[in-house]
Amino acid sequence: MMAVLWSTMLLQMRKSFVRPMFRFCLLANPILNTILLYEMFRNAGEENFMAYVVLGAGLMGLWSCICFSSAGDINRERWSGTLALIFVAPASFPVIILGKIIGNTLLSLLTLVISLVTAVVLYQVPLTLASPLYFLAALVGAVTAFVVISAVIAYLLTLSRKTELYMNCIEIPLILLCGFVFPVTVLPPAVQTLSRAFSPTYAVELLRMAVWGVKDAGLFWQKYLSLAGLTALYAGLSLLLARRIDRRVRISATLEVA
Amino acid sequence: MDNVIEVKNLRREYTRSQGFLRRKKQTVKAVDGISFSVKRGEIFGLLGQNGAGKTTTIKMLTTLLAPTEGSCKVLGFETFGEEKRIRPRINFIFGGEMGVYRRLSARDNLRYFANLYLLDRKCKEKRIEEILTLVDLKDRADDLAETYSKGMIQRLQIARGLINDPEILFMDEPTVGLDPLGARMLRDVICRLREQGRTVLLTTHYLPEAEELCNRMVIINRGKIVAAGTPEEIKNGSETLEDAYVRLIEGVSV
Repeated sequence: MMAVLWSTMLLQMRKSFVRPMFRFCLLANPILNTILLYEMFRNAGEENFMAYVVLGAGLMGLWSCICFSSAGDINRERWSGTLALIFVAPASFPVIILGKIIGNTLLSLLTLVISLVTAVVLYQVPLTLASPLYFLAALVGAVTAFVVISAVIAYLLTLSRKTELYMNCIEIPLILLCGFVFPVTVLPPAVQTLSRAFSPTYAVELLRMAVWGVKDAGLFWQKYLSLAGLTALYAGLSLLLARRIDRRVRISATLEVA
Repeated sequence: MDNVIEVKNLRREYTRSQGFLRRKKQTVKAVDGISFSVKRGEIFGLLGQNGAGKTTTIKMLTTLLAPTEGSCKVLGFETFGEEKRIRPRINFIFGGEMGVYRRLSARDNLRYFANLYLLDRKCKEKRIEEILTLVDLKDRADDLAETYSKGMIQRLQIARGLINDPEILFMDEPTVGLDPLGARMLRDVICRLREQGRTVLLTTHYLPEAEELCNRMVIINRGKIVAAGTPEEIKNGSETLEDAYVRLIEGVSV
């Protein structure tokens, strides 16, 4: 199982990096997002540009990469005729999908670094990371949350051939709902309830808390527990989906291009 | 010889939706109640026009598609429900240029699929060298597949299909687009598999190829079997297999 996971991760990183669209999302997108967010936030009274500019731009880039690769890759595999091959291989299909998603997510973390470098080089603005250890813990939680939510999406997208449409539909709404570039508290209360159903919302809050400095450790770990609980719930859902989808795709014949 | 493939009254329907506001569902019968069996060590042909149901049948046999009705057993196990018992012991090759990772070399493609077929490290490298030699790709094994000709990609597909040394190999129009030497090489591979006691089920439009290779065959038209037997039995007095094929297909079409 580890050989399958590892080789799929490496394969995915190679496949993703040679795609021009992925390189744009990975390298150019965070630079452009950083410039855009800096211009939006420079007169907003926020002195630590790390919280919304660097983190916001990095997370937007990270999510775009995950969205267009983890989700889009199902369609690319479908069109290249390899989806059917990996589906019927003796190795577990969920493990293969997980390997792809982990590979993409780890590679996509580069967006956070690029965003940071852009802010430092272009603007020389104050960037503070007040609680680095908490930040590291939050980052581990965030990556896990992104991997698991991507798995749910990837499984769902094996059911349909309209993958590109759906992945375009989910990119921006999740950025808005999960508070990547502004706090979710500015959203209407009903929408905030919806935001709380998405694990990245908690991940972003934790990262931002660590950037500003964790003053209430209890609150930090309480939110971390919410993130872990929601991630576990998603993981359970993805396992359930994996079982159902294994049967469903063979009944509906969506593994290949018609 | 025991039967390694048993198909009884197999049906497969596809549902299509049409229209935007008022979506109408349309059911298409791709395979309509076919029955046949394949013995261990046989080379068995599925012949028929485009859209006859050959590929759908192969997809059900390779556990890619669920049957709508009927029984479809491979190596004694149902292809829908007991697929995990079947998958490590079979493999398939679809014709054309699909089914390989073009951004990887032939060797890396094979390594990856060897991992997916859960081969151990020692066995994996030995097997990869063997099949690279077999399909004559050893010299270009480390070049990216995207630099390969159509024939080379198809040979890589064949190599991928042999990676787990399958008991049954399913081939869907494997010689489509291959040059004469490539097609000859593939026929040699099939003959070698037969000598090793492997079973091959193949579809092809090249009737002389089917006649040369297959022990038995069925001809499918519009999802139904219209003839079954050895090439000689199917010819049934016709001069060539092609004459018999045309007679059978046009006879049904009238």
